[in-house]
Amino acid sequence: MTTDRKPSRRGKIARRTFLIAAGVVGGGLLVGAGTVIARLSSIDGYKLPADDGEASLGAWLKFARDGKIEVAVPHQEMGQGIYALAVLLAAEVLRLPIEAVRAVPAPVHARFANPVVLLDGLPFDGHNDGLFQGASVWTFDKILRALGISATGGSTSTRNIAEPIRACAASALDMLMRAAAEKFGVAASQLKIADGHISIPDGKSATYAELADAAAKLPPKTIALPLLSAGTYVGKGIARADAAAKTNGSARYGIDTREPGQLYAAIRHSPRLGGVLQKATLREGLPGVRGLVEGKDYVAVVASSYSKAVAGLEQADVVWNDAKALSVSTKDVFAAYRAALDKGASYQPRWVLDKAGDAASSTGRTVAATYDAPFLAHATMEPMNATAVVTDKGVKVWAGHQSGYLAQLRAAGVAGVSADAVEIVTPYLGGGFGRRADLDYIAKAVEIARKFNGTPVQTIWSRAEDMRDDFYRPAAMADVSATLDANGLPSSFLYRIAVPSVNDQFVKRALPAAMGGVLPDRSTVDGAIFSFYGLRNRSIENFTVDLGIPVGFWRSVGHSLNNFFFETFIDELSVEAGIKPIDYRAQLLKAANGTEAAKRASAVLTRLSRFDAATQLRPGKPGAKAGRGVALSECFHSFVGQLAEVEVDGRDIRVRRVLAVVDCGLAIDPPNVAAQIRSAIIYGLSAALYGKVDFDNGRVVPENFDTYPVLTLDDAPEIVVEIANSGADIGGVGEIGTPGIAPAVG
Amino acid sequence: MISLNINGRSHQVDVDPDTPLLWALRDELQLTGTKFGCGRALCGACTVHIDGEAARSCSIMVGDAAGKTVTTIEGLAGDIARAVQDAWVEAAVPQCGYCQPGFVMAATSVLGKNRSQTKEAVLSQIANICRCGTYDAIRTAVAIALGKLNPASAEPRKQESAK
Repeated sequence: MTTDRKPSRRGKIARRTFLIAAGVVGGGLLVGAGTVIARLSSIDGYKLPADDGEASLGAWLKFARDGKIEVAVPHQEMGQGIYALAVLLAAEVLRLPIEAVRAVPAPVHARFANPVVLLDGLPFDGHNDGLFQGASVWTFDKILRALGISATGGSTSTRNIAEPIRACAASALDMLMRAAAEKFGVAASQLKIADGHISIPDGKSATYAELADAAAKLPPKTIALPLLSAGTYVGKGIARADAAAKTNGSARYGIDTREPGQLYAAIRHSPRLGGVLQKATLREGLPGVRGLVEGKDYVAVVASSYSKAVAGLEQADVVWNDAKALSVSTKDVFAAYRAALDKGASYQPRWVLDKAGDAASSTGRTVAATYDAPFLAHATMEPMNATAVVTDKGVKVWAGHQSGYLAQLRAAGVAGVSADAVEIVTPYLGGGFGRRADLDYIAKAVEIARKFNGTPVQTIWSRAEDMRDDFYRPAAMADVSATLDANGLPSSFLYRIAVPSVNDQFVKRALPAAMGGVLPDRSTVDGAIFSFYGLRNRSIENFTVDLGIPVGFWRSVGHSLNNFFFETFIDELSVEAGIKPIDYRAQLLKAANGTEAAKRASAVLTRLSRFDAATQLRPGKPGAKAGRGVALSECFHSFVGQLAEVEVDGRDIRVRRVLAVVDCGLAIDPPNVAAQIRSAIIYGLSAALYGKVDFDNGRVVPENFDTYPVLTLDDAPEIVVEIANSGADIGGVGEIGTPGIAPAVG
Repeated sequence: MISLNINGRSHQVDVDPDTPLLWALRDELQLTGTKFGCGRALCGACTVHIDGEAARSCSIMVGDAAGKTVTTIEGLAGDIARAVQDAWVEAAVPQCGYCQPGFVMAATSVLGKNRSQTKEAVLSQIANICRCGTYDAIRTAVAIALGKLNPASAEPRKQESAK
């Protein structure tokens, strides 16, 4: 494993002695009671712009010319299936066949802000509904909506749009009904709805499309919206409309943008972080080469095709200035973490939570362990790229991204125009995982295109550039210790983590006008701080240690670190206490005295336990050991339990099978929830087994899939997903499978 | 000018013979279904068929492809290709989808050599990378494709585990 775990003071722990319990695997979909409360204000004030022949039905819906209903989606489709989810919800409320509705990108407009992504990062305990927290969240919600910051990330897409789309659809249906009542001269109560038709008892009927113009002219009314619950599509799922195009090559990604007269740029960044370009000269007379662009920390060659641009770049004479380059190596990072945790020099914890009450007076056996985890790259399949054209009137950008708002802002800043003068076209994303929340690649593409006024230029990063100029999942180190009482349960618990702050760096990059570093960065302790376990005398300390390596949002952000350290330590405690890891967790959950979080975690754990008891562990091949590991995660308001079946043969670790039990409140599209969980587990397991980005004197070591290996069909485990709807508020889904796989395997 | 036979048609491309085939397809011929992923034949996103064999077009030079028959995802046809593509849709494989044309090309090539292999044999010959982790769905899709191609001896389909 590349996620090294240093042995605790007791030396090596015999892991994988795991798990006995009784019972059978619970199956089937439990559709919980709906929980989304209609906020009808979401239909007021803004109407989706409609062209000739179209009819707007509110902020989220309109009739297109072909009679289909279009639902506006302010989130990018990067694989998570948000387009299908929007169609599903609109079709459900409008009582339409799926084929009658299609998803389209929402305009970049304040109406489509995503406050959820930022609200989730506020440093409040997600389990506490106190007045102060409630008031603060409400205030921030207003501010963030007013700012209009749109973003796709933080597992928020469904939570952000499900309720307003349903409210808008209910309002639209009411408008159609009123239009029909008027057309037929009957009371609305006599109308019947089926298959996109509204009819009256004598057989007369009109299609929604025929009623659209009249309906669009009616004022929207407040409609009582039934709570989200199982229906025709909700709780069953629908086929994604993009499957065929993504299978036959016709789906268009940012890199597939082909505008008339388009040029291509190949880009190379300073080999050392922090280095700048001194001078670059083109070799003369190369076919197709149109010019060279000198950026601050990069050089780009523009040509009539990408391969010609690459040839031009390879033959250019480039001199870098390393005067201010970083000389950091991986070992320096961990040494700094160690020093901070040892409270050497100037380091003070930036944020102390749940300061242990009488930890000092706790007596008994002490268990202590130190963990560390490496920097990680995103390695989206589609390398960074963006196409831009800069004219006297403004800027147009074609690129996959995770925030239209920030893309607009960055492009405008580079081109020196107002944000209104920037049009962002968003094709499909060939993966996001948090990488495309940082829009440096768009800023650079605009900078390069600016030198070719009026001509679209597509800037493509090679895989090496993509990997060496990433914003990495930060490396971290944690000291964790606990005192165990006579029953083997912790009487004190101290968790201390040294890690850079993603939020500090991101805010500085993306919104320099905003003040980063004011609030504590919750992501640094997410996964440890709001534990569902009952832990007495708990203290969580965060040390912000930043040596200048660029860090960013990586699928599940802080949870990927803290859940690994935290749950691995729980395993160590269980071994010390002589209690099976599943049973030990059950006891820790019982000690939480019936909190909502503990109840949900317990329900998930019970299912893991049943599966474990009912499913025989196949022996490993001769000489290999086989076992199961367990982990619980709470993130993005959802709960996941994982049971990993692992075979260890010498230094070879093979994860054969994973059971994941998921409680995301209500699974609106269960097959897609399962697909997202599988995806997130593979992503997390690639990292746990192979992922490591090392730095050597300011240089990034890995540069392609040979030096940054990921799972393939050959070593990807079979993943069984069980959905356990608790009926709680809807939680996120896209990232929640990632954190638990490393501790379940480790 | 180099003459290339792509998807059954002859094309003249004005590129250096050392240009990777991938970029001739994408930039000169606007065949963007073949994807750029790694540039070093490590990920398979750029998989095409050359004389029926799966090949990674980022690492094959245009000069070496001249005189051969090149098929891209846009030109994929026949009962095997149809079975594979239908299976991919039926199993709801694509998430971000960027790597999937490469997987489809790889699977079609493997099945083209022998359409009645076991699922395991087919899967063992596909070494592409998917960062969305659609591997379980790909396993299901390969089983479905085999079922379509071998109706008499269809393997029992794996149940969707998330009910």
